Amino acid sequence: MPILVDIKNVSKKYKEASRAAVDSLSFSIQQGEVFGLLGPNGAGKTTFISMLCGLFPPPEGLILINGFTHQSNSRACKQLIGVVPQEIALYPKLTLWENLMFLGHMYGLSTVVLKEKIKENLNILGLEANRHQQINSFSGGMKRRVNLVAGLLHDPQLLILDEPTVGVDIQSKQAIIEYLKRLNSEKGMTILYTSHHLDEAQDFCTHIAIIDEGKIITEGKTEELIKSNNCNSIEEVYLKLTGVNFRDK
Amino acid sequence: MKLIYSIYKEYKVLTRDRAGLAITFIMPTVLILIITLIQDSTFKSVNEASVPLLLVDRDHDSLSLILEKSLASSKFFSITRKELSDEETKSEVAKGHYFIGIIVPENTSTTLREKSSARISRLLDSFSGDSVATTRKDTIKLQVHIFFDPITKKSFKTTLTNSIERIISQIELLSMVNALTEKMKEDFPLASPTTPELGPIVNIKEEYASFNDSTIIPNSVQHNVPAWTLFAMFFICIPLAGNIIREREDGSAFRLLTMPGSYMIVILGKMLTYVIVNLIQFALMLGVGVFLLPLLGLPQLNIGNSLPLLFLVAFASGLAATGFGLLVGTMATTHDQSSLFGSVFIIILAAIGGIWVPTFVMPDMMRQFSVISPLNWGLEAFYGIFVRSSGISEIYPYVLLLIAFFVACVASAYLYHRFKRMR
Repeated sequence: MPILVDIKNVSKKYKEASRAAVDSLSFSIQQGEVFGLLGPNGAGKTTFISMLCGLFPPPEGLILINGFTHQSNSRACKQLIGVVPQEIALYPKLTLWENLMFLGHMYGLSTVVLKEKIKENLNILGLEANRHQQINSFSGGMKRRVNLVAGLLHDPQLLILDEPTVGVDIQSKQAIIEYLKRLNSEKGMTILYTSHHLDEAQDFCTHIAIIDEGKIITEGKTEELIKSNNCNSIEEVYLKLTGVNFRDK
Repeated sequence: MKLIYSIYKEYKVLTRDRAGLAITFIMPTVLILIITLIQDSTFKSVNEASVPLLLVDRDHDSLSLILEKSLASSKFFSITRKELSDEETKSEVAKGHYFIGIIVPENTSTTLREKSSARISRLLDSFSGDSVATTRKDTIKLQVHIFFDPITKKSFKTTLTNSIERIISQIELLSMVNALTEKMKEDFPLASPTTPELGPIVNIKEEYASFNDSTIIPNSVQHNVPAWTLFAMFFICIPLAGNIIREREDGSAFRLLTMPGSYMIVILGKMLTYVIVNLIQFALMLGVGVFLLPLLGLPQLNIGNSLPLLFLVAFASGLAATGFGLLVGTMATTHDQSSLFGSVFIIILAAIGGIWVPTFVMPDMMRQFSVISPLNWGLEAFYGIFVRSSGISEIYPYVLLLIAFFVACVASAYLYHRFKRMR
């Protein structure tokens, strides 16, 4: 499979910090892969994702998305990316329809295409009947599903999910994961997934990298990673490699 | 297209925030009503005060009657007549019941007539070579006693004294002319003289130094409507900053920053929406000044001669206010920070800029200091249009200052945002 994301020796150190948030990170994500990036709090996941999304350039190293960097062709890179942040990044006073219409237009989609996309996604995620309700009247699970749809409107090649199922009920969690699997298998969408739900990661991801203190400490296909570490689950691998100590600053 | 959708989104968000909308439009209306009603009498004391005056008339003759008539016609005094002793008169003024007390002693008119007649006789006698007549002088002086409230400022006391002296001088002149006429009638019994002309020969032409013919005197409405409208316009920095912080906290800003195209379009959409809100605020407050305030017995707002110029100043003020809101929203990390810093800063700028206390009653030092406030630039521009009938050539420096303030705020916000991202 061709490589969609190529990370080459990327480092980032914040001015006040004693160590690098991201330290010589190198790995690649193949097209059609579901790549799990796991790690404790403060491991450097958010900093890495921010650089991958083009929020700021990596001071060292190179991030290539389909051969482009954000510095050489920001528009092409951003057009390939869909982001689902951990927070419910929606406007609570707007209806579901108004939220998605606004975000879709910000992606540069035409109204006709956008309406089709919204209807299609809402039907699959069971939100069609709620399209004219304000977001602040939604349950946590419904908000999460809308949050996901907002990142999918422009059919991105790379979907970046930051804890997409945190704080939702089992039904919504199931619906989200099933839909993501479907997008991956039917549309070949590449997914970069971060979560603290390690059982969900084991079930969902084809490839996993564990990051700690800014460095990749292990990486490989999910089943191979479990076998090579003589463990029964990703959770065991994770605890074996990152330890049981708290990561309080 | 993105800009239009961004404005539409902000419009939807704003119109569904009823509490926010109420604050945006009701707050300035209430402020204008309350402050204008409170300050109306203060402004009147500067412009058209009615000074309470106690007249103790023991003369009951021509002098006291003419004095009272002249004082009343000046519309400067509200006259009360009473029969009181000197001590009682002094006490009434000392208690603050009257600003000024005048006692006209008994037989003042009679004595004045006699003295005038005597002076004229002496003058005419001196023409006939009577050397004794020229050396005779008045030994008894007539006295009108005036009491002033002790809190009276020296300048105001001088003005009042001059007014009363001028009236008394006119009465003396009239008395002298009458005495002369009587004397002449004795010498020329067959003559039929015309009534003497005593009106002023040299007139003083007073005019306010405005650019057109319009001579509008500033009043509480003329000050308070633009002042508190500007205050409310700048207060929009708090909801705007809150909007920016909320978008940052809930991840929307992050999502928008990952989209193709510039995030500045979203920010521009936000700012334009708030400028439009500012313009609606301004139009409504003009409506309050023109239609609502007169119903409460206050003067009607005269909006001058140029509506486009008014809206140019309002637009520039709106830009300055939203630019400041963007800067506060970018620099503050929490809602508490932005609302506290934003409101305190606007209150300070308003105080310096002459919103609360007009600059023309400020001490000289503060008046010079007031020019650093963008609210003062807006207020001076509105004064120019409302009071001085200024045109674009007089207003444009203020408009340029407001736009420069907007540019400085936006540039600072951009640099600070960039600095934070690159840290």
